[in-house]
Amino acid sequence: MIEGVWLWVTFALIALATHLPRGSFIVAGSRARLPATLQRALRYAPAAALSALVMPDVVLEGGELDPLNPKLAAALAVLLIAARWRNPWLPFIAGMGVLLLLRKGLGW
Amino acid sequence: MNDSFRRGAREGFRAFLPLSVGLIPWAMVTGVAMRSAGFSVIEAIGMTLMVFAGTAQLGTLPLIVSGAPLWLIVTTALVLNLRFVIFSAAISPAFEGIPLLKRMMSGYLLVDGVFAVGAERMLASKDRDWRFGFYLAPSLWAWSLWQVFVLLGVLGAELVPQGWSLEFMATIALMTLLVPLAASRPMLVAALAGGVSAVALRGMPLKLGLIAGIMIGIVAGFAAEHWLHRRRAA
Repeated sequence: MIEGVWLWVTFALIALATHLPRGSFIVAGSRARLPATLQRALRYAPAAALSALVMPDVVLEGGELDPLNPKLAAALAVLLIAARWRNPWLPFIAGMGVLLLLRKGLGW
Repeated sequence: MNDSFRRGAREGFRAFLPLSVGLIPWAMVTGVAMRSAGFSVIEAIGMTLMVFAGTAQLGTLPLIVSGAPLWLIVTTALVLNLRFVIFSAAISPAFEGIPLLKRMMSGYLLVDGVFAVGAERMLASKDRDWRFGFYLAPSLWAWSLWQVFVLLGVLGAELVPQGWSLEFMATIALMTLLVPLAASRPMLVAALAGGVSAVALRGMPLKLGLIAGIMIGIVAGFAAEHWLHRRRAA
């Protein structure tokens, strides 16, 4: 865990890594244009990054591959519900419900 | 604050209002997640004011907790925010003729929802003041909602009992962002390739597997797009 001054330095750098992309073309104005190919490739960055963050968390248990763990069952419930309904609360209710039921209720 | 600005502000706010409800659970989860990660109340509020971005805040949290190197945290944040370069480029003609300071503020306020709802109408309008109003009102509304409900999550985290696996809510939040993104075939390929590679390469030092996974995902998505395009053309 990063602590103290370094945590604030980390926040500042994350802020920079957020606001430079946001401001980029709005601030630079019409003088700048992004190459079309790069623009098309960059569209895949968020999906790839989100999945790369989420997938290890739901298929690994203690660093080892474990396809039968409660987090994966909860994740599948979340994916199904989020794909089916637009209600913003349902995925949280279903995901936490499944996880807690399996962990607390069934002691998995 | 002339008439067209006010008219734009009203219309922009009304267009964004239904979608903005979706920010609430996400903001609360971000607040709870930051407290579960071990941030103090001041640190959690500081991060939210400085960064003001759910994906970047939630996405970097596990890296901060595990003590990952700073460059990896910043690179991850940058990758998660690359979409804003595209949004920024797409919406920039709508800011023509608006002073620099206001453009900088607009950059800080840029969020997915307002872009999704407003970009087309803003680009279609010839009235500069209307456009700025149409952007500013929903953006400030999104900012306020975000700050208030993150704060509620930060303060309410204490009330939630221990051992309820609350950290998993951050993962759920990231998944709810992923689902609408992965609607097209190449996007799904990018997501699957990115996720599977990140799992397969988890043994790499310095968590480099994460960055490698993301790069593989981007390349795979782009390649799938080309391949599908060619097959359709043939």
